[in-house]
Amino acid sequence: MRPMSTASYPLQVQNLTKHYQSRHGGGDITAVNGISFHVAPGECFGLLGPNGAGKSTTIQCISGFYPATSGQVLVEGHNVHVEPKLARRVLGVCNQEETLDSDFTVFDQLVLHSTYFRIPRAEGKRRAQELLERFGLNDKAKENVEALSGGMKRRLQVARALISDPKVLVLDEPTTGLDPDVRRMLWEVLVEARSKGTAILLCTHYMDEAERLCDRVAILHQGKILDIDSPEKLVAAHINRDEVEEEVRPGVIWKRKANLEDVYLKLTGSRLGVEGL
Amino acid sequence: MNIPDSLWGVWCVWRRYYSAFMKSLVYYLLTTFLEPIFYLLSFGIGVGALVGGITTEGVHLTYRSFIFSGIIAQTVLFQGFYEGAFGAFVRMYYQKIFQSIAVTPITLSEVLWGELLWDSTKACVAAEVVALIGVCTGDFHIHCLLTLLPVCFASSLLFSAMGLAAAGFARSIDELSYPQYLLIFPMFLFCGVFYPIESLPHVLQIFAWVFPLTSVNAIMRSLSLDLPLQPQAVPLLLLWLVATVFIARRTMFKRLIK
Repeated sequence: MRPMSTASYPLQVQNLTKHYQSRHGGGDITAVNGISFHVAPGECFGLLGPNGAGKSTTIQCISGFYPATSGQVLVEGHNVHVEPKLARRVLGVCNQEETLDSDFTVFDQLVLHSTYFRIPRAEGKRRAQELLERFGLNDKAKENVEALSGGMKRRLQVARALISDPKVLVLDEPTTGLDPDVRRMLWEVLVEARSKGTAILLCTHYMDEAERLCDRVAILHQGKILDIDSPEKLVAAHINRDEVEEEVRPGVIWKRKANLEDVYLKLTGSRLGVEGL
Repeated sequence: MNIPDSLWGVWCVWRRYYSAFMKSLVYYLLTTFLEPIFYLLSFGIGVGALVGGITTEGVHLTYRSFIFSGIIAQTVLFQGFYEGAFGAFVRMYYQKIFQSIAVTPITLSEVLWGELLWDSTKACVAAEVVALIGVCTGDFHIHCLLTLLPVCFASSLLFSAMGLAAAGFARSIDELSYPQYLLIFPMFLFCGVFYPIESLPHVLQIFAWVFPLTSVNAIMRSLSLDLPLQPQAVPLLLLWLVATVFIARRTMFKRLIK
């Protein structure tokens, strides 16, 4: 990757810390604890971590929905908490939870979403049409959201995040619950977006997906980044052998290449029965 | 903060609600306008014929005129509160519309202003329709449509904000029944919609004045029926307006943002 000055990274997260008060008493919770990373143009950066590691809170801070306790998030050089409008004009976000607008049809809600970015209606319609074709939802254009399957809703939500042609795309678990073929289609879309220079932040707990798509990954655990590097380098650094043996069923031993999942399990301390790491 | 940009954001949210409204026009027209019309028919024509005339604040008028003005206040109360409470709760909790718009160039603050302004627009239009019916039946002068407009809008905003605050506090949609039964219905029954509050014992009159619907009724009757206006009505209404809008926004921010 070409070296860049820090100011020109589309997404920079600097010493981001987020505390919030527990709603059930018991004082402050530190969800994110001083994390820093950047995503370059055309790069896919993975944020990996178990449930409760702070991934979603990080995303809520990056989109500017939650204020940061300290540290800052820069999108194309704009601090998302100081200049949210400028920063978010180039930011596409697909949240983990379903946030589709069920008062509108599939097509209409894409056009509606484009108006929030001040995209002229005719252009919004053109983009909506293009995205529906790309995501295989064309025949559902006039349906309401309730008529879509879970996988279709997920696709529509990713399509919606792309309607503004963002320079930074943030995806929180975009492929959870998807069929393998739809998952591959989404992967292709991400590859296309990268080739146009979009910086992608991908939160996932599918290690194969991260290993396949991400140039670099950060492993997040209890609000802290344990390590950042390319999947290959992480495997080389943390797993001291090429092959690992795993007892998959009683008496059945599999020998396989060490992978990102082994690194993840080792670093997050939730290693389950994998021998010889 | 760039003001034109923020106004544009609020307008965008308002327009989203308007588009959704237009998509289910028949449903919304039925739910928005039929209820006040039923009240008008039942109390204005039915009870009105039974009661005949009444004297309040030293002025003699027909009960039908009196109740027509009360129904305008009832309309802003119910339409404003229900849209702000149940409507906003569904949008915030089930549809997650606030959350999806507030990651675009539109901020959560603008989303909440858009929500409040839409809820109050809808209640205000419904109230003006009631006033228009009153004009057609000869109970109000035509200029009332104009003079009532600011008070209809301010009180719609007040009750929408009351609803939005309730939606912010409620842990489930069922909990919205507490403010509905403990605040909205008592106001509807004791704040001068159906009878002049002078008919109540003195202590209850003071108590009635604590609640904003009494001020709303007083101002509306003064504008539509030329009754003398009690001096405390306008300041009380404004006080309630500022307080409810402040509390509604604060509650929603607290609920949504960690």
